[in-house]
Amino acid sequence: MNQKSNHRVIGERIPRLDAREKVLGRAIYTTDLFLPGMLYGKVLRSPHPHARVVRIDTSLAEALEGVKAVLTFKNTTGNKFNASASHVQTIPPYQTEKDQRIFTDVVRYIGDEVAAVAAVNEDTAATALDLIKVKYDILPPVYDPLEAENSESPDIHPHCRQKNIVGNPIEMKSGDADSALDGSDYILEEHYRLPVQKQCQLETQVAVASFNSDGKLTVWSPTQAPHPCRRILAEIFNLPLNKVRVLNPPYVGGAFGVRIGLSGKAEPIAAALAMAAGQPVKIAYNRREDFIASDTRHGGYITVKLGLDQEGNFQVLELKSILNGGAYCSWSADVNGAIGARALTVYKIPHVSFTGYSVYTNTTPAGACRGFGAVQPTFALEMTVNKAADLLKMDPLKLRLRNIIRPGDNWIAPFPCRSSGLKECLEYGAMCIGWEERKYLKEQNQKSDRYKKGLGVAIGNHVSSCAPFQTDYTGAILSVLSDGSVQLACGLVEMGTGTKTTLAQIAAESLGVSPRLIDVKLGDTEGTPYDVGCQASRSCYTAGAAVLKVARDVRKQIIDYVACKTGYLADEIRIDDSLIFRGTEQILTLTEIVRDADYHNRQFSAVGIYESTNALSWQAHFALVTLDNWTGRVTVDKLVAAHDIGKAVNPSIVEGQIEGGAVMGLGYALGEEIRYSQDGCQLNNNFQSYILPTAADVGPIKTILVEPGEPSGPYGARGVGENAVAPVAPAVAGAVINATGVHFNVLPLTPERVLKGLRPQSGTRSND
Amino acid sequence: METLNLTFILNRQHVSISVPHNRRLVDLLRDDLHLTGTKEGCGIGECGACTVLLNGHPVNSCLILAGQVQGSEITTIEGVEFENGDLHPIQETFLNEGAVQCGFCTPGMILSGLALLRENPHPTDDEIKEAIAGNLCRCTGYQQIVDAIKSAAARL
Repeated sequence: MNQKSNHRVIGERIPRLDAREKVLGRAIYTTDLFLPGMLYGKVLRSPHPHARVVRIDTSLAEALEGVKAVLTFKNTTGNKFNASASHVQTIPPYQTEKDQRIFTDVVRYIGDEVAAVAAVNEDTAATALDLIKVKYDILPPVYDPLEAENSESPDIHPHCRQKNIVGNPIEMKSGDADSALDGSDYILEEHYRLPVQKQCQLETQVAVASFNSDGKLTVWSPTQAPHPCRRILAEIFNLPLNKVRVLNPPYVGGAFGVRIGLSGKAEPIAAALAMAAGQPVKIAYNRREDFIASDTRHGGYITVKLGLDQEGNFQVLELKSILNGGAYCSWSADVNGAIGARALTVYKIPHVSFTGYSVYTNTTPAGACRGFGAVQPTFALEMTVNKAADLLKMDPLKLRLRNIIRPGDNWIAPFPCRSSGLKECLEYGAMCIGWEERKYLKEQNQKSDRYKKGLGVAIGNHVSSCAPFQTDYTGAILSVLSDGSVQLACGLVEMGTGTKTTLAQIAAESLGVSPRLIDVKLGDTEGTPYDVGCQASRSCYTAGAAVLKVARDVRKQIIDYVACKTGYLADEIRIDDSLIFRGTEQILTLTEIVRDADYHNRQFSAVGIYESTNALSWQAHFALVTLDNWTGRVTVDKLVAAHDIGKAVNPSIVEGQIEGGAVMGLGYALGEEIRYSQDGCQLNNNFQSYILPTAADVGPIKTILVEPGEPSGPYGARGVGENAVAPVAPAVAGAVINATGVHFNVLPLTPERVLKGLRPQSGTRSND
Repeated sequence: METLNLTFILNRQHVSISVPHNRRLVDLLRDDLHLTGTKEGCGIGECGACTVLLNGHPVNSCLILAGQVQGSEITTIEGVEFENGDLHPIQETFLNEGAVQCGFCTPGMILSGLALLRENPHPTDDEIKEAIAGNLCRCTGYQQIVDAIKSAAARL
C-alpha cells in the first residue's frame, strides 16, 4: 500500500530535529522563562457561576509590600475580544462574536477572571489575591444548553439574537431530506449526548509579557497561533500590529486546540500587568485553573435521522446539533459548521441536511479540541449506522463499504474530493483486526458468563486546512546562506506535532540538501510571514505547500546561476546532497556556488505566500474489545487505525500523531468527562478526578498508512493531526454492541454506565 | 519564614544551598538551581512531569519538600547524559524512535524508564507500562515510548 518512491527524504523516518534538546531536558518552554525584574502574576477568579460584581476593593492588596500592580475591570481596557483565532467565517461571511473582556463585571462561570495582581514572588501575589474584597450580586445560572434555550432561563449575554444562542445557527442542505425520509424503507432516529472532554496538554496555560519604553509589547506563550494571537492582543490594547511581538520560547508543551489564539487569557492579563507595573510579568495557570478557565471540547446533543432502502443504500441523512458553548463564544459559532461538514461528507447520500448551533451556559467556555467538530458527529453518525446494520442484519463493515463516498461523487463540501483511500483503509484494517472472526464471537461469548468479546468499526474524515470556511493563508521565507547552510522561516509553531522536522524534510527534498542543514524558525511573529496557526490539521498541507513553493524557487535560482556561470543548460543541472551535478557528473558543491554568488552580490532567497485549498483525509478504525460482564469494564484488546493521509512525509511522526490521537479517543470513549455540580462547579478539575489514559491502560495499537497521494498537497500529503481521535469511541461502542447487543447513545462508557446499560432498572439482563 | 541549609548530591555534584522550609523539591530545582528540565504539570503528584530520581527511586518532586533531600542523591534529566556529553542510550532511543513529541513529559518518562532498567534490565512490555504508568503523556499514545525503553534495555 505504500508506493515505492524515488525521494531522498520524503517518506523517511528521520529523527526529529527538536528531539535532542527535549531528551536532554534543555528545551525551553514558557513556564521555564525567567527575565530580569520579572514579576509573578496571579488571577482572582469568580467563585460564582453567574453574578454581577457590585463592588471591588483592591486597596489592601495594593498596599501589600511587594505588590506592583492590581488590575480589575475598573482600570483595564473594556475592549471586547474573542480569545480564539476565530476571526471571520467566510461561508457564510460573518464576524466572530467578541464577548470577552480581560476582566469582567459580570461573571458568567466559576473561574471567570475578576482581577489580577503582579508581585515580586508567587506567595506575595497569592496573599494579595486574598486581600481583594469583592461583593457579588448573585444571578440565576443555567448549565444545560436545552434549558438555556428556554425563555425563562437567564440571559447570559445581552447581545444574543436568539435566546442564549451563540452567533447564528448553521444550516446545510442538499437535495430534499424531508420528502426523501418519507420514501425510505427504513428510518432511524437516534439521540446522542456527548460529554465535555478537556485537552489536558501537559504544559498549562502561561504567558510572560514585557512592555518596553518604545511602546512595544513582547509576549512569550505556548500559543498555537502567534500571528492571530498578536492580532487579538493588538486589538485589545489598541496597538499597531508591528508593536506587538508574540513568540514561543521556542517550545510548546502540547496544545490540542486549547490555545489557537490566546492561551486562556494568560497573554492579555500578563500584558496588562506588565504595562501597569513597568516590569515583565509571568502568569502561569495551575492545573486547576487550566481545567476551569481554559476552553474545553463542546459537549451537547446530536440527533440523527437516517433513511435507507431495503438493500442498505443510504437515502437521507438529517443531523441536528445543539452544543453547550459555555460562558463565552470562543469557537462556538464555528464548531457547528465543522459538525455538519464532518457528518455530511463521509457517505454518499442524495439528500442531506444539517442544523446546528451552540448555546451559552454558565460553564467553562467550550472551544477547539483535537478532532474539532468531528468527535461528536462521528460518534452519533457511526452509532446510527451500526443500528441500521443491526436492523438490516447486515455486517456493519459491508454496510459502510456499500455507502462510502468516492472521489467524483457529488458532495456538499465546497472543494472537490480529489482522492480517497477510505475503501483501502476499511479493507486493510478489517484484514488486520481479523474481522471475519466477528461472526464467531457470539458463539464464543456464550462459553463465558463473565467476558464477552466484540469487534467494531468506525470511519470518518477530517480537513487539512481551514479553507474556505475561514481565511487560511500562509507563507515561507527560505535563504541559502553563504556557507551552504539554509534558513527557513514560517509563521506557525512546533507544538509536538513534528512541524519543524516535516517542513525541513519538504525543503530538503526540493532543494537537494540534508534536512540537518536547515534551521527552521517557527513560532514568532517577528521574521515570519502571516500564518493562521496550527489548527485544522493544516500544518504540513498548507505550510508545507508554501515551503515547497519557496524551495523550488530557490532551487531554480541556484540552477539558473550555475547555468549562467558554466554555460550548461539548466535542464541538465540538479542539486543533490549539497552537490551540483550535470547529468551524473558532479561539477561543483553548493557551498562553492553560494560563496561565488555572495562574492558577486547575490543571495539565493525567496518569500512565498500560499493561499490554501483543502482536502479531506480519511480513516477507519477497528476495535477488538473484551467486556467484563461483572464490572462493566471495557478493555480494548487491540485497535487498528487505518489512515489515508495522502503521503506520509515522515512515517514516524505520522504514526505518532495517529497513536496519540487514538489514545485521546480512547479516553473520550472510556473515561474522560467533565461534569458539573448543581452549583456550577467542575467536579473533574484535576488529574485525580479527570481520568486520562496511562500507559497501563492502552493496549496494542496497529497503524496502517494508506498513501494514494493528494494532488493538492506537498509531495501528496494531507493532514493527520486530528483524524485519529473521532473514530475510536464508535469503534469501541460498536464492539460493545457486538459483544452484548446493547447500543449506547451516551459517552463515556464508564463501568457504571455500561453496567446500567447491561442491566436496566427492571433487573433483567439485556441479551443479544 | 525560616530557611533550611541543605547539602546533597545532585547529578554527581555536591550542592550546598539555603531555601525556605516550605520549598518543594521541584521549585528548588527549577527556580533556585535553574534546572528547568524537570517540569510541573499538575502539582499534586498525578502526572509525573516532575519525576526525578531520589536515591535511585523515581519520585514526584512536586510532593517532596526540600528538607527531605538532605544528604541524599538526586538525579534530574540534566544528569542523565554522560559526563563527556554523549547521550545515554535511553536518550538515544527516545530520540531515534519517535518517542518525543511536545517533550514536556519526556524528562519524567526518561527518568522513570532509567529507574526501571537499573532495577529490571529486561522488562516485558507490561512491566514497562507499569513503570511509566505514573507519567502521563497526551501526545504519543505511549507506543513509541514503550518501544524506546525496550530498545534501550536491549542496548544496555
